[in-house]
Amino acid sequence: MVPLVSMKGITKVYADGTVALRGVTFELAEGEVHALLGENGAGKTTLMRILYGELRPTAGEIFVRGQSVAFRSPQEAMRRGIAMVHQNFSLVPSFTVADNLYLAVTSVKPMRRGEVEGRARELGARLGIEVPLEARVEQLSAGMKQRAEILKSLLLDAKIIILDEPTSLLTPLEARALLGLIKELKAQQVSFVYVTHKLREVKEVADRVTVLRKGANVGTFQVSEVSEAEMAKLMVGAEVERVRRSRSGAPGEVLLEVEDLAARDDMGVERLKGVTLSVRRGEVVGIAGVQGSGQKELAEILAGLRRPERGKVRLGGVDVTGRSPREMRRAGVLYSPESREEGLALEMSLVENSVLARQGEHASGVTMNWKSAEERARQIVERFRVVFTDLWERARNLSGGNQQRLMVGRELESEGLLLIAHEPTQGLDVVSAEKVRGEILRFRERGAVLLISSDLDEVLELSDRIVVLFEGRVVGELKGGESDLERLAKLMGGAL
Amino acid sequence: MVEAELWLFVLISSLSYMTPILLATIGEIITERSGIVNVGIEGILLSSAFASVATSFFSGSMLLGVLAGTLAGALLGALFGLFAVYLRADQIIAGLAINMASYGFTVLGLIAIWGHHGASPRVEGQLPYFSIGQSTVPLLTLLAILIAVLSWFFLFRTRTGLALRACGEEPRAADAMGVNTYRYRIAATTLGGTLAGLGGAFLALEIAGVFTRGMSAGMGFIALANVAFSGWNPLPAVFGAYVFGFLSAAADALQQEVGYAYLLKTLPYLGTLAITVLTARRSRAPLRLGVPYARE
Repeated sequence: MVPLVSMKGITKVYADGTVALRGVTFELAEGEVHALLGENGAGKTTLMRILYGELRPTAGEIFVRGQSVAFRSPQEAMRRGIAMVHQNFSLVPSFTVADNLYLAVTSVKPMRRGEVEGRARELGARLGIEVPLEARVEQLSAGMKQRAEILKSLLLDAKIIILDEPTSLLTPLEARALLGLIKELKAQQVSFVYVTHKLREVKEVADRVTVLRKGANVGTFQVSEVSEAEMAKLMVGAEVERVRRSRSGAPGEVLLEVEDLAARDDMGVERLKGVTLSVRRGEVVGIAGVQGSGQKELAEILAGLRRPERGKVRLGGVDVTGRSPREMRRAGVLYSPESREEGLALEMSLVENSVLARQGEHASGVTMNWKSAEERARQIVERFRVVFTDLWERARNLSGGNQQRLMVGRELESEGLLLIAHEPTQGLDVVSAEKVRGEILRFRERGAVLLISSDLDEVLELSDRIVVLFEGRVVGELKGGESDLERLAKLMGGAL
Repeated sequence: MVEAELWLFVLISSLSYMTPILLATIGEIITERSGIVNVGIEGILLSSAFASVATSFFSGSMLLGVLAGTLAGALLGALFGLFAVYLRADQIIAGLAINMASYGFTVLGLIAIWGHHGASPRVEGQLPYFSIGQSTVPLLTLLAILIAVLSWFFLFRTRTGLALRACGEEPRAADAMGVNTYRYRIAATTLGGTLAGLGGAFLALEIAGVFTRGMSAGMGFIALANVAFSGWNPLPAVFGAYVFGFLSAAADALQQEVGYAYLLKTLPYLGTLAITVLTARRSRAPLRLGVPYARE
């Protein structure tokens, strides 16, 4: 039987000489879910963007239903029934869902607005993809945005849907709903390419899996015939040494006390509604919660970046409520924010970023001592294996993973008592994520860690205690070691 | 009675003063909705005012003058678009360059053509108008209001308008939806320049009847303030432009009544300042305004 899609000998060399793909072969059969598994930078997304017409291969051939194709734009791919849902979505945030659907559909075939909306409603009802058409995209949750994207693909008569890291922004419940939807659509003869680095999802949803490593195909298997461990080994190229934490002994004195904290976000929405928690010396306390439960505001208050409306923050017994970021740093708070755009000055060099907020330690009088600043930068990049070409290049030129290592590394290399780590391993491959996790655990010897992460495995593995936030309130506290994912997911959804 | 008549006169002549500001504002709204900010409309007003006066001086036709001014605006808008969109120049610098070059070249033109540093000779002729009592309202003013309504319809009720706004909000997403961001943006700067050009022609041929150096006198910047005041929507822009027009007309009329010429002439600018401060936080600019877009 002719495969639905067949990519042969695909090679991609970027203009700067980076080789992203080395002669990759990939096949998608009719009606299957085919997982594309690999680490960050393995070339998964590049391969799929080539299929979707966003990038052109340097060499290689693509066949759709046996016919040779060479797409020059996504529109050409869409006309052949191929759609791609990007990790960060390609919707205009300030437009309504209906506007977005209309714009996307009419760029491929002319259709009246009323007809687009009617078909969207009919299709949504038939497949159970409920998306409020009149809502603005920016008001929707990540899961809703994704459903809007999938609906968009279906309106374009897509028979092949490429999902790029589809669960990376979803809550556990939304992720489960997505897997259900994929199975439903599979029954309607839609085929999927499921790009991911999460082994568990491959097992759960895929029929076949192709593993990419450093731009090469290292094997295609029936999912039922390959174990998670085997896939992990193929993906990384070696056994991964997992950090197995040793539970610390009895924690020490209380380091951080947060009492009845309330705050609003930038839009004036009440995000924290009276949160009380404490962190003892020697502890890692994990904060779990779906996005927007108040964790960002909590982190920002502790870093001095946001003023609480009420409540107290005490550090080592001293009231530090409402102090400035500079004073909080002096008091021993280290902060690695969720967004690299906040944590790094991307237009500045690695050296400058390495001493950001600590310039004073590398200055003699009013002039910077760049030698000593370089020294610090060198320590960070060596310890956290940041890959770079020049210490004075702009941080923007680093890949996302390397920026993340630089940012987290800078905080871990600094003097401090309390580390606020918000999504510390986002965008990191398995090996470097484990390295960062190990360093976070080691930090307990110097003080304590408040770990905010949407990676629940990470929270469960590293935390001594887990505090669950839901709609700005603490809805539960679990012990790190003995809790299970199921119970955590339920609490995060607000079920008590 | 004299008082009442004076105010009626001011209210009607405000319509005239409003027109160039309104046209420039609509042009800038369309430009900014596509994600490009053109601070060079001040210069476009000036250049097109010059082009229109020079053309009607030599041809003897006011209508040809209007056409020449509009065309000059279109060319400058397209030139700006070329720099801002395709060459990804800094939009503020490119806009300032248009302002400074326009000032320089028009003064040079004054000297080259008429041998004068300050002003051109008066142009003879009259653009079409209709009368209300003893006052007259230019036809182009009505056209400008009509253009405001049509632009609103275009931006918010048509597919092309939706696509154009997508370019200003999230060009990457627009691109993914098959909207050619580059083409939309350069079309928007050209259209924006065209409207400002029409405004410049009106300023010179209808309001002043001559070209004087630096005659745009900040109207382009007032239009920029009006863009934010109107929340990037052409309909409120009519109201905003009328307020500015009224302040200019009132300054002119009062100056003849009481004197204090220089002080009164600051009225429109003080009004701009006040309105900018009062409305600063009210509306939201297009998300990617002023950010060049580069496809990977």
